[in-house]
Amino acid sequence: MNPDLKKNYKANILVVDDTPANLRLLVGMLTENGYKVRPVMDGELALTGAKAIPPDLILLDINMPKMNGYEVCEKLKENELTREIPVIFISALDDVLDKVKAFQVGGVDYVTKPFQVEEVLMRVETHLAIRQLEKNLITKNQDLEMTVQQLQNTQEQLIQSEKMAALGQLVAGIAHEINTPLGAIRSSVENIADFLKENLLQFPDFFNSLMPEYQQYFWEILHRSSEQKNSLSSKEKRQLKKSLIKELEAKEISNADTIADTLVDLGIYDRISSLVPLFQDEKGSQILEKAYQIASIQKSTDTIRTATEKAAKVVFALKNYARYDHTGEKVRSQIPEGIDTVLTLYNNQLKHGIEVTKDYEPNLPSLLCYPDELNQVWTNLIHNAIQAMDYKGHLAINITHQGDSLLVSITDSGKGIPPDIMPRIFEPFFTTKPPGEGSGLGLDIVQKIIQKHDGKIFAESVPGKTTFNVNLPLNPNS
Amino acid sequence: MSKAAILCVDDEVVVLNSLKIQLKREFGDAYVYEVAESADEALEIIDELQSEETDILVIVSDWLMPGIKGDEFLIRVHEKYPKIIKVMLTGQADETAIQRAKEKAALHNCLYKPWSSQELIATIKSGLEGL
Ligand SMILES: Nc1ncnc2c1ncn2[C@@H]1O[C@H](COP(=O)(O)OP(=O)(O)OP(=O)(O)O)[C@@H](O)[C@H]1O
Ligand SMILES: [Mg+2]
Repeated sequence: MNPDLKKNYKANILVVDDTPANLRLLVGMLTENGYKVRPVMDGELALTGAKAIPPDLILLDINMPKMNGYEVCEKLKENELTREIPVIFISALDDVLDKVKAFQVGGVDYVTKPFQVEEVLMRVETHLAIRQLEKNLITKNQDLEMTVQQLQNTQEQLIQSEKMAALGQLVAGIAHEINTPLGAIRSSVENIADFLKENLLQFPDFFNSLMPEYQQYFWEILHRSSEQKNSLSSKEKRQLKKSLIKELEAKEISNADTIADTLVDLGIYDRISSLVPLFQDEKGSQILEKAYQIASIQKSTDTIRTATEKAAKVVFALKNYARYDHTGEKVRSQIPEGIDTVLTLYNNQLKHGIEVTKDYEPNLPSLLCYPDELNQVWTNLIHNAIQAMDYKGHLAINITHQGDSLLVSITDSGKGIPPDIMPRIFEPFFTTKPPGEGSGLGLDIVQKIIQKHDGKIFAESVPGKTTFNVNLPLNPNS
Repeated sequence: MSKAAILCVDDEVVVLNSLKIQLKREFGDAYVYEVAESADEALEIIDELQSEETDILVIVSDWLMPGIKGDEFLIRVHEKYPKIIKVMLTGQADETAIQRAKEKAALHNCLYKPWSSQELIATIKSGLEGL
């Protein structure tokens, strides 16, 4: 904003001339034309006046006693406050005007006496206009610099918030990943406690009351149940249960469905002919039931073990993911660890339908890096791959040591990147995903982080096979 | 007429095992218990049971599963079988999903993992009483 616009004069001009007649003439002419004019008679006064209230333009006589115009101009240019003020020299026609000198000392123009009113006004106006443009440019430049700074800050924030968004998406999965094993643990503990409360005291009596042949069955069931190791899917179990029901019904055993269900839960799926006499016996159900209860204790402890390991694994991965480096300095870190961390956190989205193969070259060297930022890279790439495959397919992760860098390749069997959009995928906000599913920042951020590590990233894609290659130098420049 | 069924759906086998132990302990052989590892499999089982003329009384379903999510699954079931009592069991509360299931699937209750056997049984019993 130009403050002069608010004033009732066009501009503030300092006129320096030792000849009173000239001074009067100039002042009159300029004032008439709407300028505010300050007349001074010598160089010293001109310098103090210019410093005290910097004018918009100076008209400066060359030929003056004590200090001539060139000297005054040089002094003006030396001072921070007055350096930018345009100086127009005034010279008499009979003076030997040294034009070169006038420009060398920093003058922008000159006028000659006797004055041509029109000419003086034109030149004054022109230089004021140029000065104004210059000023505008400077403010524009400052604005631009500020904008760039702001953009950089925003970008930093975006990187941060993208990290948060990625984390946010993960958190939903992770809460589930932790609460699920906790649920299994809790119910298993309850189950064991209930069993102990109900059975501990009666059990020896029950067992002793059994005839030896029943004891035999009892042990056989428990033995076969504990032998059973392979885990079948619920679908397979249902099929087995059906055929067991048929088999039992063929032997005219009542409540065949309950017995079959219990047998399947016990992990006894076939070779039941030795047990058939038991089920035909009226005591059979009771013995099977007791065996089932004991076996379920076994099952519950197994559940607790698996579930605990699982929850611990997720917590460990979470701790790794958020390994925050407060110093802002690089840390030695193993790339496979970071990738495995991300894979663990994505387990929930990977375990059904996506086959993950990992091929890590043995004895890979560690890398001086920002581990949490690289985790973001793996998160984005793996997330993109999962989305491209629509949660079904094959994800291959290879890490090799090549010369003085590490090469990480992440390949998915998804729909691929069409050649026409390939050049755009690293652009910020470029996305082909519906709103909510993608912001288009993922790969932009990935690229920034990799550049920070002096690395490179490039993609190759055909339908059914898309690979993102990340090359990280072991000895980065910075 | 064959026994009525209770169906549990969760992508985690440990959860299915636990649910089944809890249900069996409480209800013994009063019902048949079926389990499914995904909504798709559950829909298959429902059709199968229907063709065998086995009634399904209760469905306990996880929310966050790969493929069809719990709310969507229960809504689909509700369209065909409005009488089945539907219970959601979730490790992560997505309020909008629960709200949706309440409105569109007449969700009977939502339990949060880790759940207790007591809550589970109480929820199922209160559902069955309403029948
Ligand atoms: N593995 C891949 N297979 C197919 N297309 C991909 C793959 N990775 C990226 N793309 C394409 O590149 C685009 C840009 O990816 P980018 O990660 O930058 O953003 P986004 O995944 O759309 O959104 P965001 O990462 O912010 O959630 C994607 O929208 C997609 O079209
Ligand atoms: Mg992405």
